Parts: sequence; C-alpha cells; structure tokens
Amino acid sequence: MADDALWYEAALLVGITNALNVVADSPLDSLEPASPSAEAQAVFGEIRAFYDRADVPLAFRRVAADPGYLADLWGAARRGFADNRLTRRHKEALAFAVSVTTCSAFGTAFHLAEMRRLGVGERGVMEVLGVTQMFSSYTKIADTLQLEPDMDGLAAVDRSPAPGGAAPPAPTRPPEAP
Amino acid sequence: MPTVRLRDASEYPAPIRKLFEVAKAWFNYDFPQPPAMSRVMAWDPELGAFHGRAMKRAMAPGEFTRAEKEMVAAVVSGVNACAY
Repeated sequence: MADDALWYEAALLVGITNALNVVADSPLDSLEPASPSAEAQAVFGEIRAFYDRADVPLAFRRVAADPGYLADLWGAARRGFADNRLTRRHKEALAFAVSVTTCSAFGTAFHLAEMRRLGVGERGVMEVLGVTQMFSSYTKIADTLQLEPDMDGLAAVDRSPAPGGAAPPAPTRPPEAP
Repeated sequence: MPTVRLRDASEYPAPIRKLFEVAKAWFNYDFPQPPAMSRVMAWDPELGAFHGRAMKRAMAPGEFTRAEKEMVAAVVSGVNACAY
C-alpha cells in the first residue's frame, strides 16, 4: 500500500460512498420519480447489471428526476467501485467501514450485501467490523487527548507523477558553503 | 498539543517497557519513543492489554490482508476526522 495511487483511489471511493449514503439516508422519498424517463431507465439498466440485482439502489432512484445528473453520478460511482488498483471486493469493505462509521443505514446494509455477494465470508465481515470498531476507539482516544501524529515517518514519500504527467523536479540541495 | 503529559517509555514499569518493544516489532519501525497511542493505552494495562489484543486480532491477516485492513483503519480514521 506504499503507492499514493492506492490512497487516491481509496479517498475518491470514500467520497462517493458518502455522497450516495447522504442522499439515501435522508428523508427524500418524495423525490423518487414514479415513472422514471427512458433515459433514466437506461442508466438503471447499467446499475442493475453492475450490481447484478433486480432493483436499483435507493441513492440512484432518488436522483432519477434529472437523468443527466443520474448518469454522471452513476459514472462516478461505477468508476469508484470498479476493479482498478484496488479490488472491488476491497472497495466494498472500505465502503462498509465508512458506512458503519458514519451510521449510514443505507450504506451499511448495501455494502454488507455487496461484500457478501463478492465472496466475503462471515469471518471477513467480522474482520472489517473489528478494524472499524477498534479504530473508532483509537481515533476518539487520540482526539480526546489531542495527540499529535507521530507515525508519519513509517511510509516513504511516493514521488511518482500524476497519471499521465511528468516526473516531479528532483529535490534541490541547499547551496554548499564555500 | 496533547492535553496530558505523555510519559517517556523510561517512566513506565519494566513489564510495560517490554510491551513497547512488542509494539515496535508490530510496526517494524524504530521509534525514538513508543507511539503516543501505545503510551496512552499502557496507562491502564488491564484495559490496554484487552484492547491491544482485540486490535491485533482484528488486524491479523485473514480474508483480508493486513495491508487491506490498514487501509480500512485509515479510512475510518479519516471519516472520524482524526489527524493522529
């Protein structure tokens, strides 16, 4: 997990997870169109295929009144959750941890179901739940005592460029004394 | 700045100092002082020992690797807005 690329991917996933959860967990039932447009239905088809399920997750149904927005949100979600540098299985575990931590009823149930669908067993679920619980403890202990980071030296700095970009300039040395 | 004075490892009794060595091995990193969290948890060894064992059990490789679990821990810490 030394490459920054993995952490960028994880952070983007956390953002998308929370974006879906906040809409699904809010009292927004009235926003779900009774008869989604053909354009929205086409996006729904992609969503059903991606998740291999008959229904469309609530977070997407609630924004279907604007099919263009739905398509863009779905595009971001699909990219965020698809296999990439991180596996889809691991991403669902991260999303589950985020959802439990933020007390998202939608996200917790949805990502738990996705973890199981992708082959994570009960032991694996408990592993993720255990890590989530333990670090929900450590973080609050640290915050209560206002502890300052002291483990940032554990990982080396990744000096690779942005995707498709140029390598960063070499670090400059201070001029030597004559 | 921490709201308490973090004690140096040398201020802890010998059995606890041995646990700090175990923590160093866990992180595979030669800290000048044990991490602040290790020193906090060592304040009450009866709580800290259970907590530490639960953490190590949760973080041990299983269906997910330790690296994958470290990332889970990091996102939980991030969502909790914990800088530590």
